[in-house]
Amino acid sequence: MEQWMHQIEQWVRQPPVEQLYAALAVLVVTLAFFSILRLLKPSKSATIVLAGLSGSGKTTLFFQLCDDSPHQGTVTSMDPNEGTFVLHSELEKKGKLKPVHLVDVPGHSQLRPKLDEFLPHAAGLIFVVDSLDFLPNCRAAAEYLYDILTKASMVKRKTPILIVCNKTDRMTAHSKEFIKKQLEKEIDELRTSRNAISSADIANEYTLGVPGEAFTFSQCRNKVTIAEASGLTGEISQVKQFIRDHVEP
Amino acid sequence: MLEQLLIFTRGGLILWTCGNALKGSPIDALIRSCLLEERSAETFFSYDAPAGGAAYNLKWAFHNDLGLVFVAVYQRILHLLYVDDLLAAVRREFSQIYDPKRTAYDEFDEIFRQLQKEAEARAEEMRKSKQSNRAPLMAGKKQGAGAGQRAGSQGNAKQKGGKGSSGKDDGDGELGKGRGLSNGQENGTKEHSRAPSVVVKGKENGAPVSGAFDVNKLQKLRPKGGKKTDTGTGKASKAEPKKIVKKNRVWDDSPSDSKLDFTDPADEKGDEVVDFGKADHGESMMDKEEIVNSESESEEDEEVESTKPGTKKKGWFSSMFQSIAGNAVLDKADLKPALKALKDRLMTKNVAEEIAEKLCESVAASLEGKKLGSFTRVSSTVQTAMEEALLRILTPKRSIDILRDVHAAKEQGKPYVVVFVGVNGVGKSTNLAKVAYWLLQHDISVMMAACDTFRSGAVEQLRTHARRLQIPIFEKGYEKDPAIVAREAILEASRNNSDVVLVDTAGRMQDNEPLMRALSKLINLNNPDLVLFVGEALVGNDAVDQLSKFNQKLADLSTVPNARLIDGILLTKFDTIDDKVGAALSMVYISGAPVMFVGCGQSYTDLKKLNVKSIVKTLLK
Repeated sequence: MEQWMHQIEQWVRQPPVEQLYAALAVLVVTLAFFSILRLLKPSKSATIVLAGLSGSGKTTLFFQLCDDSPHQGTVTSMDPNEGTFVLHSELEKKGKLKPVHLVDVPGHSQLRPKLDEFLPHAAGLIFVVDSLDFLPNCRAAAEYLYDILTKASMVKRKTPILIVCNKTDRMTAHSKEFIKKQLEKEIDELRTSRNAISSADIANEYTLGVPGEAFTFSQCRNKVTIAEASGLTGEISQVKQFIRDHVEP
Repeated sequence: MLEQLLIFTRGGLILWTCGNALKGSPIDALIRSCLLEERSAETFFSYDAPAGGAAYNLKWAFHNDLGLVFVAVYQRILHLLYVDDLLAAVRREFSQIYDPKRTAYDEFDEIFRQLQKEAEARAEEMRKSKQSNRAPLMAGKKQGAGAGQRAGSQGNAKQKGGKGSSGKDDGDGELGKGRGLSNGQENGTKEHSRAPSVVVKGKENGAPVSGAFDVNKLQKLRPKGGKKTDTGTGKASKAEPKKIVKKNRVWDDSPSDSKLDFTDPADEKGDEVVDFGKADHGESMMDKEEIVNSESESEEDEEVESTKPGTKKKGWFSSMFQSIAGNAVLDKADLKPALKALKDRLMTKNVAEEIAEKLCESVAASLEGKKLGSFTRVSSTVQTAMEEALLRILTPKRSIDILRDVHAAKEQGKPYVVVFVGVNGVGKSTNLAKVAYWLLQHDISVMMAACDTFRSGAVEQLRTHARRLQIPIFEKGYEKDPAIVAREAILEASRNNSDVVLVDTAGRMQDNEPLMRALSKLINLNNPDLVLFVGEALVGNDAVDQLSKFNQKLADLSTVPNARLIDGILLTKFDTIDDKVGAALSMVYISGAPVMFVGCGQSYTDLKKLNVKSIVKTLLK
């Protein structure tokens, strides 16, 4: 025991070796590196997901939000559009501006699985509905919305949802109250036909609403609001408000 | 003259366009039915604008690295030869000025006009120099244009061959005989003496349907058939006095069982009289949750599957270098070995050969010119792309929620009609009973319609199922026109408030012209809500032929402009294949219809939904 103590004393009193300096330097650098990384990493996700049926106007809305103009038009998307930007109206404000990460997921039914990649990180979901051509697509839109509302990643994280009735610049577009009522009715029907199965369907992991009562959006665990917008003309103030509310500065 | 040339990103934003406005929405139709369905290796796509608009042909080119698509639209009546050339030139020029941040490219107008002039000039030169060869070239293009439907040019060749053989059948004049023969091939146990009587019955059935055969021939056959049955019964009567009652053999000292004859007692008509309690076999597997092995699949991708040493080793080494450096641009030569390996793997899983070929070409078209990410190998990139493509194809395009459709039809007050079609022996009647059982479990009242009026025992088979499930059955016996029987069944169903009518039809080969015409008549007359094609999972390359011919005949022989095609697929005998699940892929690819049910056994509960992820995993294992 004393021999050990003696040896340690001798070793400490020695002049420090080059290797020791090098080792210390590496340690310091690594620590500094990691601390910088932690500072730079965003603390909370600021992703907003745009979803809806094919042809409802998601890509137009996306470019309206990003660049304030729908450019030369759009076709059916094959891949998601992602963009990180600061909302144009925010540029006038002073102070720290947080960029928003907006994702436009294609609405084609065969590309639906792509939505599952983005939903777990979403701070909010914007569900775009075509209010012009609403009635023929009502059932498909309601089914899509039902699938989203019963996904585990949505329910557990209580992601807020904004249902946007798009294309309101046209005369024959339906009002948002009408669309809300129709969607609630369709989802009610879906509830009865899907919940008639005793063991759960693989896709629908949660049941929706209160059994015995007609379904309303207020019964959802997620907060659902409805707004009107027009991607082509640029009347998207309510959408911008939603984004601002749910992306924390 | 080109109608329009469009450049757009894969995300959907149009970057540049030039030309007149188009009628209808050909670009969206192109994306939905061609590019997203992994048919991008085809040469062109034809589109007819609805309500008698123009007829367009579309050609396209990809720039996979930048994620751009170039589409040229022109009138179908013009056979423009310079379009491919022009698209390649446009792709080259545009990729030089492309910038992801920019969205307006007005200066490209000038460049495009120049390119168009050059391409037209080149085409003119080629035309002048090939004056003599032009006639066969045009003919080849015409044939190609005719074949450029979803089935592809190979389907056309097969159809021609099919027409030839069915022509032969008609040439014989023995419609029923042809049918009887094909049935005989299926059921090898058919007795010889029964064959002529089958012919007679077939003929009688054929008469109201087509009316295009010789009555004299029928009269000639009838006594022939009668004679043969007389001799048959004569032989049987001679054998009777020689019958000795057999005694049961006793194997050991245990007492013999009293009853070894398990046939049900028959009444005077020869029909069985059985008292069945309502069949309750538990929950149908449609409603059970499938326990999917959901561990991550990335581990399997890392396995290197190099079989050949020597040249393969050198390629592997250099590809390793490139993958670490990370700036390799994929070209056809790089993709070929990986795609060939994938195609072989798909074919060992019983995917039809031409489907595997088309899929591999389409994946190659979508990967050519793309930059390899760092630390990724060519084979893993190809594998990921193929997996994505398969997932996309097998995901249903429209809702397969039948219960919802039934509820909707119920609200409107009319019955939901499902017609089961398919070739002989795939399991239509068995799976019809399974679907009926599943619907009954969801409190939906079902009625069966026995429109298989040809095959002996078909009506009795359905009658037995109906008794076990305790549901009504509408039948008119044999040798009746199935279309009329179906119509009366639907009227009966609306009278007694049945929610669903399940119509069973006779099995028929896809190139049997009169039978396909009869089927088309049934579907046109009754306009069912769902036309379900029943196909067995054991089928190999024939799946392609069956489905494409069924769809084609239904389209050609329909009386209305919007022909009813196959809406869904019911895959049967799934329990007999272990992991050779390729038939599902072939059928979905060739028809575009989703797989709605999968039959996996012979009892009532053996019906389940297709699990897309597990099928894709099995196909690429």
